Order: sequence, then structure tokens, then C-alpha cells
Amino acid sequence: MAEIQPPVEEIRALVGHEFPGGKYTVAHWENFLLTECTGAEPLPDGQVHPVVLFHMPILGANTSIGGMFALGQAESDFSIGIESYDWEIERPLHEDVEYTVTGKVTEADRMEGSLRGASRGVYDRIQFRFELHEPEGNFAASSTITWTYRRSRS
Amino acid sequence: MNVQVGDSIPEWVMESVRPERMRTMAAILRDPNPVHWDRKAVAALPFGLGERTINQGPLGLSYMLNMLMDWAGPTSVRRITMRFPNVVLDGDRMVANGTVTAVREEGGVRLADCDVWLAREGEQPCLEGTATVALPED
Repeated sequence: MAEIQPPVEEIRALVGHEFPGGKYTVAHWENFLLTECTGAEPLPDGQVHPVVLFHMPILGANTSIGGMFALGQAESDFSIGIESYDWEIERPLHEDVEYTVTGKVTEADRMEGSLRGASRGVYDRIQFRFELHEPEGNFAASSTITWTYRRSRS
Repeated sequence: MNVQVGDSIPEWVMESVRPERMRTMAAILRDPNPVHWDRKAVAALPFGLGERTINQGPLGLSYMLNMLMDWAGPTSVRRITMRFPNVVLDGDRMVANGTVTAVREEGGVRLADCDVWLAREGEQPCLEGTATVALPED
């Protein structure tokens, strides 16, 4: 696999990489639009639709989808695939609550096999884990994202 | 709530996946990937998908969250794990389904473990995974 870029050592070295972390508060307008996109009615008592567990941890940890693509040295936006999303909800999230967010890379390695919609090839599998805590420090939720980064042979 | 292993969860239907919702979602997510908002970018891919934008993975996942919350209540979902074997495209009619695989108690709360999936009618799932839901008391 010597001709594959980036070198596998650079990918494996991502394990343990921590994002800056930060705070995130979901405003009513954001929850309203987000919920509308899912086709559901707004949830009661200012509860945030749990689909927020994709983007809120990413942005709250002070990174971005594009930043995560770049961290894994994606060849293009089209080279990214989803392996899985795993969301745990200990406490439902609410509008106008400031959550503390942390995030890091938990797994990163090179693989060979078949990916959705493509022939057999080489890809890097990178797993990110984010955690959300309430202002009082209670664990609220987590999001584990596992993406694949398809690689071309140069 | 009387739930047994093998019970089916009432299905939840997205009659038509709408491209304008993908665009709103892309803006909220700050998602730069044009496959969610540029039909010509999708048509240029070597996958034969035509000029139809690809639904964001989290949006497809949200249809199953809606199914679970309609069934067991808005605060019921404790965990959901999802894989994405096929893409969902704008204009698709998608049906979320689920079955109960286990009922157990943990910390005084009755939990239902479920298999969940999202598919076009009569086709293989586009999303499939598992969920754990807290069951409301009778």
C-alpha cells in the first residue's frame, strides 16, 4: 500500500486527537427548522429533536464537517462514506441550555474491501466520539461517528 | 405500555423526500458536500443516480427517531445505532419500520430493544440498525 496517500502512519496517528471543545446552545429557531426538516411536529417543552446529535456535537466541539474531512485528508467531499452513527441519550436535550461539548478521534486505520456503491478498494476508517454535558456537569448524550475515506492509488 | 418481543412498531412514512429540506439541513449542518444540494454534482458521480440529490444520513435516521417517538413518547429514545447500506434520494417515498427484539428492566426503567430500518416499499433497507427505547408506564 506504499503508493496510497496519505501514509498510513499519519492516519493511525490521529487516534487521540482532541478537538478544541466548547459550548453549544440550540436556539428555538434552529430547533424549529431542524425538526421541520425531519417531517415531525415540534416536540413539547422545548425539547430539541434528537437529530441534533449529528451537528451539535461537531460544531460544539469547535470543529466542522469540512474540518473532519480535512483532518482525515479526504481526497474530495465525494470520497467520504458513512459506516455508522451511534447516538446515546441519557437526558433529552432542550433549547436555550448551554451544553459543554468535547470530542476526539477514537479509532483510525487503513482497510481494504468493498464500500457502498464502489468496487473493492483501499479506504481509511476514522471514528470520532463526542460527549455533551449539561451546565451542572451531568452527562447528557454522546455521538459516535464512523466515516470511511476512500483512497486512490497514485 | 404493553410491549412484547416480536411486536411491530407502527410504521412512519415520509411521503416524499424533499430537496429543499436537504438544503435547509445543509445550511444548519454547515455541510459543504454538494451531493445534498446540487443535482448536477450527483449526476456527475459514477453511481448512476441521475439528477437527484442525496438525503443527509442524519435526516434518514430522523425518520426512525420520529417513528420511535410517536410510538413510545418524545423522551423515550435512549440509543440508536445506524448503518447506511444504500442512499436515499430526493423524491423517494420512505417507510420507517421496527420490531421489538427484547424487553428488559434497567435501573427501574423498562426498556425495549428494537431492530429498525428505513426502506422504499418492497426494497432492501437504505438504513438499518438498532434502538433502545424507554417504555412509558401503563
